[in-house]
Amino acid sequence: MPLAADHLSTTLAALSDPTRRAILSRLAGGEATVTELAAPFAMSMPAVSRHLRVLEHAGLITRGREAQWRPCRIAAAPLKEVADWLAHYQRFWTESLDRLDEYLRDAQKEEKKYGHGKHHARRRA
Amino acid sequence: MATGSITPEEEHELVLTRVFDAPRKLVFKAWTDPKIVAQWWGPHHFTNPVCELDARPGGAIRIHMRGPDGTIYPMTGTYQEIVEPERIVFTSAALDAAGNPMFEMLTTVTFAEQDRKTKQILRTRVIKSTAEAPRYLAGMEAGWTQSLQRLTAYLGAHPKE
Repeated sequence: MPLAADHLSTTLAALSDPTRRAILSRLAGGEATVTELAAPFAMSMPAVSRHLRVLEHAGLITRGREAQWRPCRIAAAPLKEVADWLAHYQRFWTESLDRLDEYLRDAQKEEKKYGHGKHHARRRA
Repeated sequence: MATGSITPEEEHELVLTRVFDAPRKLVFKAWTDPKIVAQWWGPHHFTNPVCELDARPGGAIRIHMRGPDGTIYPMTGTYQEIVEPERIVFTSAALDAAGNPMFEMLTTVTFAEQDRKTKQILRTRVIKSTAEAPRYLAGMEAGWTQSLQRLTAYLGAHPKE
């Protein structure tokens, strides 16, 4: 699959729609036809097809060649990029903020020790 | 909520909410004083041999993160907004070996006082990326299976809205 220069942004734009995320969530459980995918939504088949085209264009799904059924399957590669991005940044910030929390606790302990502290409230054990 | 949560709003924004048991003034200082930021910026076991922050609108950010294996991850950024003590907005970009930005993030951090605690909301999203970005991230991240599981869980947890 050729990667566009800003592939990640195309993927993120495709994922920005709740219906498309729901479709992907369904496909994570196995391939499905357009009719099956349309079932949970109060939406016309052409509308669902439009969402599928956006997902296909972003490389997030592939569609079978088998006659009129053309089952949809989830594609892993672009999802991996987004998953990496999410996992990376969630980890980055979660761990950074843990360390910030530690710093704030220590800084206030120091302050108390040297008699400037005004916060006598019981801290979390 | 004590730990972070991902929300699907906007274009895949990552939103992390924290309540710190510290006054807002101190939290804000911990974000803008480079000597303090160097102590907490980055994942566990990372250090920051370079941490230069010019905390005013238009001011530059320059941080070199050093991983536990010695790899240096340089980043630069620019402050968009500094509203003491309630709000910081900045862009940040990770640089490749040649010093070119691989992707750019926009991060907004707000601080609200609650009793003597501080509720901090951090939002971050990609504003630009290159084909190099995913490889860079993959290099820093653990297994792909784990990532896909997280994404599947994420998609499952937010099927609609």
